[in-house]
Amino acid sequence: MTYKSQSIAYPYFVLALLLFALQVLMGLWLASNYFTTVPQSVVNVFPFATARAMHTNLLVLWLLLGFMGATFYLVPEETGTELAWPKMAIAQLALLAATGVTALVGFFFGWTKGRPLLEIPFPLNLLIVVGALMFLANVAVTMFRAKRWTAVQGSLLGGLVFLALMYLFGVPFYRNAAEDWYYWWWVIHLWVEGAWELITAALTAFVLIKLTGVDRKVVEKWLYVELGLFLFTGIAGTGHHYYWLGAPKYWLWVGGVFSALEPFPILLMLVDTWRDVRHRSQPVRPRLTWVYLVGMVILHFIGAGLFGFAHTLPQINYYTHGSQVTLSHGHLAFFGAYVLMNLTFFYFAIPRIKGYPDGTYDERTGHLGFWLMSLGVVGMGLGFGVAGVLQTYLERIQGQPYMLAQQPIRFWMLVVALHGLLVLVGALLAIRHLLTLKPARPGQA
Amino acid sequence: MSHAIAKWIFWVGTLVSLGLFLALTVDTRGQFAALTHADKLDDHVVAGKRAFQARNCNDCHTILGFGAYYAPDLTRVVARMGEDSIRRRLEHPEVAFADSYRKMPQQHLGQQEIEDIVAYLRWVGNIDNHDWPPQDSPNRWKRSTERVMAGAALSPAAALVQQENCLSCHTLGGSGESKGPRFEWIGARRDAAYIARYLADPEKVAPGAQMPSFESLSQEQREMIGEFIVSLAAQGR
Ligand code: HEC
Ligand code: HEC
Ligand code: HEM
Ligand code: HEM
Ligand SMILES: [Fe+2]
Repeated sequence: MTYKSQSIAYPYFVLALLLFALQVLMGLWLASNYFTTVPQSVVNVFPFATARAMHTNLLVLWLLLGFMGATFYLVPEETGTELAWPKMAIAQLALLAATGVTALVGFFFGWTKGRPLLEIPFPLNLLIVVGALMFLANVAVTMFRAKRWTAVQGSLLGGLVFLALMYLFGVPFYRNAAEDWYYWWWVIHLWVEGAWELITAALTAFVLIKLTGVDRKVVEKWLYVELGLFLFTGIAGTGHHYYWLGAPKYWLWVGGVFSALEPFPILLMLVDTWRDVRHRSQPVRPRLTWVYLVGMVILHFIGAGLFGFAHTLPQINYYTHGSQVTLSHGHLAFFGAYVLMNLTFFYFAIPRIKGYPDGTYDERTGHLGFWLMSLGVVGMGLGFGVAGVLQTYLERIQGQPYMLAQQPIRFWMLVVALHGLLVLVGALLAIRHLLTLKPARPGQA
Repeated sequence: MSHAIAKWIFWVGTLVSLGLFLALTVDTRGQFAALTHADKLDDHVVAGKRAFQARNCNDCHTILGFGAYYAPDLTRVVARMGEDSIRRRLEHPEVAFADSYRKMPQQHLGQQEIEDIVAYLRWVGNIDNHDWPPQDSPNRWKRSTERVMAGAALSPAAALVQQENCLSCHTLGGSGESKGPRFEWIGARRDAAYIARYLADPEKVAPGAQMPSFESLSQEQREMIGEFIVSLAAQGR
C-alpha cells in the first residue's frame, strides 16, 4: 500500500465479510424449509419469503460493499493520488450500513416492496441513492483531479456509473406487471451480465498487473476486447428474460442469439488470465491469492458461461424457466464470479493494507476455507441442478401438479443443505482467516 | 491485435448492441398494451398488484416465472384452480394447507384485498406470453382432453358431469368456468375415492370450500365420476 487513504477499504471488507456469514446462514434456513415441514406458527412469523429477501439482499449488499472497498483501494494507486474525500468514504459506509440494517429489520416486520431481489422500500432507496452519489463523486473527483487515465480506471468508473444508473429503474412502482419485469431485468440482468462484469474485469486486470508483473499494455488491450464483447452480448442478451413475460416474439430470436454468445467474453477472461499467469515475471506468492484468482475465472466460466448457456435458448428455457434449474445457475454464477472476485481482492489487498512485505501472509486454514466453500457450492449447484431437471420433467413435461412434483425434490434439497454446511464451514474459516490475517511465518514466504 | 483495434471492438460492440436494444425497447413498449390487455388493467387490478407486493407473495411464488421457486407458479392460477378456490386459500391458508408438507402464512388479508389480488391474478392470467407455463398451457389441456373425450363422451360418468352442471364452476378441456379447479388438474392430484368422498360432503374434506354437496348422487355414481376425473389426467399427457 502506497497511499494512506487506501486503508479505507478495510472497514468495507470487514462489514462485507460479516454480512456474508449471515447470508450463508440464511441460505441454510431456506434449504431446510424445503426438506422439512415448518409449522404454521413459525411460517406466520418468519415465512420463507422473509428469509429469502434477507438472503438475497445480504448477498447484494455485501458484494457491493466489497466492490466499493476494492474501488477505494484501487483508485489511489491507479491515479497516483490520495482519495479526494477520505472522511466522506467513512460517512458513506456508515450510511449504507445503517440503511442495510434497517432494511433487514424492516423485512422481518413486513416492510417490503415485495419485488424479488429488490425488496428494499422506497424511502431506503433514496438513502442508497445518496450513498451511491457520495461514492461516485468521491471516485470520479479523485480520477478527474489526477488526470492519469488508464483503461482500468475508465472501465471501473464506467461500470460503477452504469451500475448506479440501472438501480434507478428498480425504484418506481409499475402498474403493468409485464413492464415491471421488463425493467426489473434492467437492474438484475444488466447488473450481473453488464455493469458487474465491467467492474470484475477491471479489478481482475488490476490484480493481474500487480500479481503477475505482465505488461500493463497487454492486459489493458485485452480488457478493451473483454468489455466490448461483454456489452455487445450482454445488453441485447437481456432478451433471454423477455421470452415469456408478454413481450413480442422477436425477443426469442434476439435474446437467444445474443445471450448464446455471452459465454465468449467470460471465456476470454479465463484465457487472458491463464496467459498472464503463464507469462508471469513474479513468483506465485502467496499461493492462496493465486488459487482464488484462478478459481474465480474458472468457476465464473462454469457457473455463468456454461450453466447460463444451458438454459438460455428459448426452446429449453420454455421448460426450465423459473425452476430450480435457475437456482443452480444463480448460485454457481454468483459464487464463481462475484463472491470469489471479492474474496480474491480481499486476499490481495488486506496484506498490503496491513503492510506485510510483498503482500504475503500466513496461509494456514485459508486453503481449507477455499476448498470447502468452493466444493460445497459446486455440490449445491449440482443438487439444485438435479432438483431442477426433475421439476422440469415431472411438472413441465409430464404435467404433474407442482406440489406432487416437489416430493422427490425435497430429498435433493437435503443434499443441497448438506453441501451448504460445507459452504458455511468453509466460509467461516475464510472469513476468520481474512479478519485475523497474520504475517507469513519465517521460512514460509 | 493492436490497441486501436481493441478500442474499436469496444465501441462498436457496445453501441451496436445498445442501439438495437433501445430500438426494440421502444417497439416493445408500443406493443405491451395489446399483449397484456392493458385496457383491462383498472385500479382494482393495480390495487391487487400493490397488495401482492406488500404481502411479499413473490418471495415464495413465481409469477410469469419470476420470483421464488418454493410454491406453485401463479401466472395461470385462475385457469388452473379457479377464483373461489383461490379466495379460500388466501382467507384460510392454515386450513387449506393443514395437511400439506409446505405452508403458506396466514396474513389476515382483508376481504377487499383478496378481491383485488384475485382481480390481479385474473389479469395476469390473460397476458399473451407465448403459452408459458407449459404445465398450465390451455392448448395442451385442450388437446389431451379431446383425446380422452373422444372415447368417453358417451360414458355414464361424462353424462353425469353434464347433467349435474359441474362445468358451471369447473373447467374441462376448452369449456367450463373458473370458479373451481380444472378437472384435469384435480385428476392429477387426487384418487377416485377422494373425489367420491369430496362430492358427498365437500365441507368435511375441505372446510370452507365453495362447492355444493352432491349427496343426492349414489355412492356408485360418485365413484364413477371420480374415476372419470382421474382418467383425464392419467392419459392426459
Ligand atoms: C411462505 C411462503 C408463501 C407465501 C409468502 C405465500 N404463499 Fe401462497 N402458497 C405457498 C405454498 C407452499 C403453497 C402450496 C401449498 C400446497 O399446495 O400444499 C401456496 C399456494 C398458493 C395458492 C394455490 C396455488 C396452487 O396451485 O395450489 C395460491 C393461489 C397462493 N398460494 C397465493 C398466494 C398469494 C396471493 C400470496 C400473497 C398474499 C401468497 N400465496 C403468499 C407458500 C406461500
Ligand atoms: C357452484 C360451483 C361448483 C359446482 C356446481 C361444482 N363444483 Fe366442484 N368445486 C367448486 C369449487 C369452488 C371447488 C374448490 C374448493 C376449494 O378447494 O376451495 C371445487 C372442488 C371440487 C373438487 C375437489 C378438488 C380438490 O382437489 O380438492 C372436486 C373433486 C369437484 N369439485 C368435483 C365436482 C364435480 C364432479 C361437480 C359436478 C358433479 C362439481 N364439482 C360441481 C365449485 C363447484
Ligand atoms: C456472473 C454472471 C451471472 C450471474 C451472477 C447470473 C445470475 C443469475 C440469477 C441470479 C438468475 C435468476 C434471476 C431470477 O429470476 O431471480 C439468472 C437467470 C438467468 N441467467 Fe444468469 N447469471 C449470470 C450470467 C449468465 C449468462 C452468461 C447467461 C447465458 C449464457 C445466463 C443465463 C440466464 C438465464 C437464461 C436466466 C433465466 C432463467 C429462467 O428463465 O428462469 N446468465 N442468472
Ligand atoms: C449454505 C449455503 C446456501 C444455501 C443452502 C442456499 C440456499 C438458497 C435457497 C434455498 C434459495 C431460495 C430458492 C427459492 O427461491 O426457492 C436461495 C436463493 C438464492 N441464493 Fe442461496 N444459498 C446458499 C448460499 C448462497 C451463496 C453463497 C450465494 C451467492 C453466491 C447465494 C445466492 C443466492 C441467490 C442469488 C438466490 C436467488 C436466486 C434466484 O432468484 O434465482 N446463496 N439460496
Ligand atoms: Fe441474464
